Amino acid sequence: MINFTLLSTYSHEFIQGTILTLKIASLGCLIGITGGIMLGVIQAYVKGPLAWLVAIYTTIIRGTPMLIQIMFIYFLLPELGFIPSDVWSAIIAIGINSSAYVSQIIRSGINTVGIGQREAAYVLGLTQFQTIRFIVLPQAIRAVLPALGNELITLIKDTSLASTIGVMELSKRAYFVQTRTFDVIGVYGIVAAIYLVITSTLSILVYFLEQRMNRNVTRS
Amino acid sequence: MLRVHNLKKTFGAKHVVADISFTVDHGHIAVFLGSSGVGKSTLLRILNNLESLDGGTIMLDDKPLDITRVNQNHTVGLVFQHSNLFDHLTIEENITLALIQVMKKSPKEAKDIAHTLLAKYNLLDQAHKYPAQLSGGQRQRVAIIRTLAMKPKVICFDEPTSALDPLLTNYVAQNLQELAREGYIILIATHDTALLDKLDATIYLMQDGMIIETANSKEYTKNSQAYPLIHQFVLGEKNQNPQI
Repeated sequence: MINFTLLSTYSHEFIQGTILTLKIASLGCLIGITGGIMLGVIQAYVKGPLAWLVAIYTTIIRGTPMLIQIMFIYFLLPELGFIPSDVWSAIIAIGINSSAYVSQIIRSGINTVGIGQREAAYVLGLTQFQTIRFIVLPQAIRAVLPALGNELITLIKDTSLASTIGVMELSKRAYFVQTRTFDVIGVYGIVAAIYLVITSTLSILVYFLEQRMNRNVTRS
Repeated sequence: MLRVHNLKKTFGAKHVVADISFTVDHGHIAVFLGSSGVGKSTLLRILNNLESLDGGTIMLDDKPLDITRVNQNHTVGLVFQHSNLFDHLTIEENITLALIQVMKKSPKEAKDIAHTLLAKYNLLDQAHKYPAQLSGGQRQRVAIIRTLAMKPKVICFDEPTSALDPLLTNYVAQNLQELAREGYIILIATHDTALLDKLDATIYLMQDGMIIETANSKEYTKNSQAYPLIHQFVLGEKNQNPQI
């Protein structure tokens, strides 16, 4: 049960935490999807060293915990001369992690687009870039929208790992609230409910987007 | 005039197209007839640069045709067996996409071209529908319009009637004849012998990648016995035995 007195007393903490969580999630998602689409297209279309590099990248990112990746970005970037804020370290790490997973989803989506669609585009004189941009990607994304939705939901929940480098997102603020109130169940119950609302809203949005994108592939 | 001379294509050791030569004038139809796997679709794919050429020459209007540039130059167009319309785009967008992106027409110009052609083929009211919402015959016509919009000189049709009922086959045949009357060079790959007596065309019967008999469709209809191989193929088709 949600403790509404607790919620009202510490509403500022929960609101600020939620806002930062949403910021990390949306920017991480932007990096993840943009990077993932580029990497997926490279894996689907390019042969040779560039494709091998992408394969190594995705293997490393998918094969190591995100917690370690956040630590690496947070401590490694300053060594290389870049000193991002702790929030941006988290955003970059989450974005990079997500891009590896999104790339595999996009690559599988590209493989679902029939060769006939590409041949039709080729015969009409579209360049390979135009074919990818106007024909292949829209159909690939439509095919993998449920999997992309799952990835984004995972990404939102993974933002809680940013707390390990001191980012005052929802989980971190919840930790401080429970150290003051000693109401572990009450505090984390509220936090769980907030995550649930965010991920459920995203699920519903993805569902409606899926319905909208699929309305043209079924006979009316 | 399209002149194809000694065209060759091999896949490994198999000669899919073995030394094919033919000539088709503007306003004429050439029908490449044969069972599956005799090389007729490959021939059309070569002319559309979907397969590379292993040998031979192609001349269009007495000039060598650079087959690697036919798509960018819009010299040759192809209407696929299954239409291959872009499922995620409306009928109008299917037609305007290449006009805008390849021919660099303005969206308004492209839309005008699309609407003119859609009206001509009685499909203007379908402009904002998606391919999945159209019947097989309507999709076929949209595929023809999409090709026509690029103003090619040569239009290839791969099995244009394979999935159509007799009524639609008649309709498509009328469309093909109409396109020929407009001056296009029409090449058709088919195993559908029902098309033969509906078209004024030159029939090329193919086997093992070669043309083994040639006939004018009108003459064939008058005296089929004079063309024994085509006659045998047609009979085989009627007996549902595609082997010659």
